[in-house]
Amino acid sequence: MNSNNLRKMTRTPALARFALRPLTLCLLLQGVFFTLPATAQDPVVQLEPALERAEELLQAGSYLAAIDLFQRVDGFEEEAGLLGLSQALAQTGEYAQAIEVLEDAISDYAASARLSTQLAELKRATGQSAEALEILEAVVTGNTTPPVRALVQYGSLLQYTGRRDEALGPLNAAIGRYDTGAVFEAEEIAMVAVASWLLDRFHDANSLFAEAVRLEPENLEAQVLWGDLFMEKFNVVDAEKSYNAALEINRRYTPALVGQAKISGGERSIAFALEVNPNDVAALETMATLLVMNDRAEEAMEYVDRALEVNAESLKSLSILASQAALHEEYDEYARLEAQVAGFSPGNARFYGDMADAFGNAYRFTEAVGYARQAVAADPNYWQGHTLLGTNLIRLGQDEEGRVALELAFDNDPFNVMTSNMLKVFDTLEEYATLTTEHFEVRMSQRDARVLWPYMAPLLEESWATLTAKYGFEPEAPVLVEVFERTDDFAVRSVGLPDIGPLVGICFGRMVTLISPQTLDANWQEILWHELVHVFTLQMTNNRMPRWLSEGISVWEEREARPEWGRRHGMELVRAAQQDKLLPVANLNAGFTGANTNEDLGFAYFQSYLVVDYIAQEHGFDKLIELVKQYAFIKEESEMFETVFGTSIDTFDAGFRSWVDRRVQEINVYVHTEDAADEGEAHGHGQRENSSAVMAELYNNASLKQHMRQRVQDQPRDFQAHLQLGIVLFKEESFDEAKVHLQIAQDILPDYSGYPSPALVLSQIHERQGDQAARLEQLKVMLENQQHDYDSTVLLAAAALESGDLALSRYYMDRALAISPYRLDVHQIGAEIARRLNDPQMAVRELEVLVDLDVNDPVEARTDLAEAYLSNGQPADAKRNILTALEIAPSYSRAQEVLLQAVDAAP
Amino acid sequence: MNRKHKSRTSFLTMLRTALWVCAAGAAALASAQTDDQEDAYFRGGPESGRHALIITGAAASDEIRERFSQWSNSLHDVLARDYGYSADTITMLLDDGSAASQNERIDGSSRREDIAAAFTGLQQTLAAGDQLTVFLVGHGSASDAAAKFNIVGPDITGQEFAELLAPLNQQDIVVINTTSGSFEFSAALAAPGRVILSATRTRAERYDPMFARYLIDALDNRQGDRDKNGRLSVLEAWTFASQSVLGWYSEQGRLPTERAVIDDNGDGNFSLEPAAGTGDGGLAEIAYFDNHSAGPQKTSPEARSLLAEMQDLERAVFLLRGQKANYLEEEYWTRMETLLIDLARKTGRYNELQ
Repeated sequence: MNSNNLRKMTRTPALARFALRPLTLCLLLQGVFFTLPATAQDPVVQLEPALERAEELLQAGSYLAAIDLFQRVDGFEEEAGLLGLSQALAQTGEYAQAIEVLEDAISDYAASARLSTQLAELKRATGQSAEALEILEAVVTGNTTPPVRALVQYGSLLQYTGRRDEALGPLNAAIGRYDTGAVFEAEEIAMVAVASWLLDRFHDANSLFAEAVRLEPENLEAQVLWGDLFMEKFNVVDAEKSYNAALEINRRYTPALVGQAKISGGERSIAFALEVNPNDVAALETMATLLVMNDRAEEAMEYVDRALEVNAESLKSLSILASQAALHEEYDEYARLEAQVAGFSPGNARFYGDMADAFGNAYRFTEAVGYARQAVAADPNYWQGHTLLGTNLIRLGQDEEGRVALELAFDNDPFNVMTSNMLKVFDTLEEYATLTTEHFEVRMSQRDARVLWPYMAPLLEESWATLTAKYGFEPEAPVLVEVFERTDDFAVRSVGLPDIGPLVGICFGRMVTLISPQTLDANWQEILWHELVHVFTLQMTNNRMPRWLSEGISVWEEREARPEWGRRHGMELVRAAQQDKLLPVANLNAGFTGANTNEDLGFAYFQSYLVVDYIAQEHGFDKLIELVKQYAFIKEESEMFETVFGTSIDTFDAGFRSWVDRRVQEINVYVHTEDAADEGEAHGHGQRENSSAVMAELYNNASLKQHMRQRVQDQPRDFQAHLQLGIVLFKEESFDEAKVHLQIAQDILPDYSGYPSPALVLSQIHERQGDQAARLEQLKVMLENQQHDYDSTVLLAAAALESGDLALSRYYMDRALAISPYRLDVHQIGAEIARRLNDPQMAVRELEVLVDLDVNDPVEARTDLAEAYLSNGQPADAKRNILTALEIAPSYSRAQEVLLQAVDAAP
Repeated sequence: MNRKHKSRTSFLTMLRTALWVCAAGAAALASAQTDDQEDAYFRGGPESGRHALIITGAAASDEIRERFSQWSNSLHDVLARDYGYSADTITMLLDDGSAASQNERIDGSSRREDIAAAFTGLQQTLAAGDQLTVFLVGHGSASDAAAKFNIVGPDITGQEFAELLAPLNQQDIVVINTTSGSFEFSAALAAPGRVILSATRTRAERYDPMFARYLIDALDNRQGDRDKNGRLSVLEAWTFASQSVLGWYSEQGRLPTERAVIDDNGDGNFSLEPAAGTGDGGLAEIAYFDNHSAGPQKTSPEARSLLAEMQDLERAVFLLRGQKANYLEEEYWTRMETLLIDLARKTGRYNELQ
């Protein structure tokens, strides 16, 4: 088949006419109207209303009513009725009955080609592939022109059972039928599309599906198969369109519901599909997959078992079981399952692909690579296997081989969005600089290399020194860090697709990907440190660390690294305790996997941090390390807790709860039910906004003031009420009264870090009153617990510089750089500090960045830098820079003097 | 073209004999790269006058009015403080003119009749060779029918504004249009010998631009003086302001909704990256906001000789810079280094002379 044929066919007027005919799927399949065009005028027509109505009901998803009506169809239309009946039964999961209906009606497979094909499909769907194959073989060999559907189903099953060479014949025959103009019906065209798909002719498959749904938009099967093709290629947008098109016609069409669930990752569509058809294997498998991904493997097994009861040859179910066995190092069980699959589908590459996927999702990239290699060895034409291989190699830092695998996949399957996205990132990386320190290899944009790197490099090595000493463990070096300017590149490099939600950094064990701080409004150093802690904990456990503990330690280490880092969710803790929202320690991962909002997710991080803090404070840091080490082994979490703490996980949990209760009592804040929790993005990295207080700032009014007065009267430790009242009073310029309430709020929650905080509003009041010293003092108070406010740090750095306190100025300058090294003012302060400290090295560092950032005065910036180079004994660099300045401003006398000094100083 | 080249000749002669190093150097480069017609513009000597007309249109809200007013007053003050303008040489037409009683800077309203009167007055006041810089502050709009500057009363179209400018054919004209949707209005003003700056480059850029704010920054204390010659050219101001605007949007994490452009070769095709020798930028580079002041000159034969050599060297630097693309990197910088070291040494010696 070629595209010319396709175009020619689509222009045929006859096809356009068919597109207007509201034929039902079943009649199309049966071809009754082709062979007997005059029947519409026959007396038999009196039977048609029952059949037509049944088909309408089937199409609309009223399956039980359709079953009832189909059973009444007999006589001349009996075969159509039987076909419809078996389809309706299958849609409700009554596979045995559906098979029985067909088997009763068929005496000769070849003679009842359409019914037999349907029977074979049902047999295959219920784990009887050998019988299905026999039936299809009889249909195909027993007819000179077997139905296209039979050819395609036969070819598909031959492929599935490992007879790939034999599959070529029937699949090509189906395509040949289309090429010779003998395929007109939407259903058959969709089947030809499937044949093309199975033969890796993805472009043809796409065109054919498009043609099929253009001819008959109501063809649910064609719509969903087209969606499945898109899904296989990770083209979620188009897949969703196809599934939605089907669901608009029939909201109970389970294949479309399953497709939709795969896109959304939500369980609602699946639950609905299982209501319609409790035996829908695809729905059961999809539910199991989602549960496994959400760390609910035990629940998943229930669905796997149900799927296998229906279809013992369910590849996906068996691969879920196999991956769980392998992840738990139950190798005998894995071998048994592998052999079971090989029994009905020898050399099935997808099985190994699923294994690679499962291990990749579990951050076990080495094993994932191994399975991906097995997949492509089993079928070198399994292009997704090459993509899996490439992706997982990249996670291990083996870019070169990974890229080769991805390019091979792309060359043969250019429609795979994940593959092409991953390769595009390589194009981005080619433009990036590769920089190294003793233990790290970092890739970042050329601009980041100039602006960010001077501040990142020392932090990397600081983290290495600190964490290796603390954990007594040296990760495999170099640790790879990639910093992406574009969020899409970061997302694709991290997960293969451009949508990654609020993530700002990901650790894969040996490799870390980050969003460039240029696009962030948060403390990038805290984020980097957080991810680097993951490098340690993941590598210490061979990537077997559960998410809750890994995140808990990373968050805990934030605060250990810098006192102002970390999270302070005192209000949220009190609220969670009040609402009994604290999760049992044994179920902490559910806080992450079951989070529906950023708030939930943020609290999952915080509670994990609390558990780690509890361990460190109450049991000692050594116990924490012991616990981490436990995860390197395959054992139950409860057993690990028993080993480390000598108590059951439940007793541990009780201890934790009582510790939390004490903390809540210490915090001693009243949390009103009408207040919302602070909101923040970037997984807790970044400013968290107190929306109630912001509203008070924007829309302060008398009624709000009255209400808050009442609240503080009712509950003197109502932090929010004091804060909001303070803000309203500030806006009214009742400064003294405002200060009283803000001070009370500050005393209640001294480490409150949301925006706006009492300290921030107090600083604003002092500013309005012209009391600069008090203003700065409050900003200092705020910054003790707030690590994301650039402007305040720069203000304090500048004030300290002005007062001659260079050490303090440098402290705040460093704080500002931890948030953003991309702004001029902090480097101008840095250069001035360096000048006053007579520190040429620091001056060079700051001025080099300034040269990059100061687009408005490049001559001055270059001249300053050249002077710094001269002071730092770098005359060649000085000359290079001053020539650049003089190129723009040849008569600038200061630059001329520096040039002559540089020339004199040059060796 | 109706310009009187004869009167220009005397200015050029004076310029060439003036011993003001940097400006002369820049002018020499520009003349080397522009045609004879362009050579006739923006050659004003020390005695040529500089005038500014600030027209601030109607505002959509009090907050915006406050902003426009603040920009206009700042512009007025900076021109007076740093560039030698005075109340006599600045005409400011602000909004409905109602604030004139409290603000002595204001000369009238931005009503059509006041604008026309201001131009009539300027025709009478400005001498041949004087430079008039028109600043437009406010909202603009563009449709298929016409591009307009939103003034008090009926808006004025670009075509109508061009008619007001037309009689000023003996003067050097700079128009800096900082309004939203300013592009098509600005395009209607393009003519040979005029430098036209537009804060936006398409009709679609219809949000209020930030350009005016950064233009004022560029002027303020000559922050935009990129080549450190002590004077601010229109091109330098444009460069400073347009880059600052992009920086502002980047800092805000927003896509820029304005891109400033220049036309100074009269073809109405505005450039995003103007530079002498690239179509637009030649005139903007030699159009300064102030007059150059030669200052006391050294008259000894050695000083005069050194100065001539310095001017030659500077010209050579400009020419080499213009030919940068034709050289291998290393060769270019070797040549540049030789010139710049020579220039630096000669300047040093010149400065040591009494």
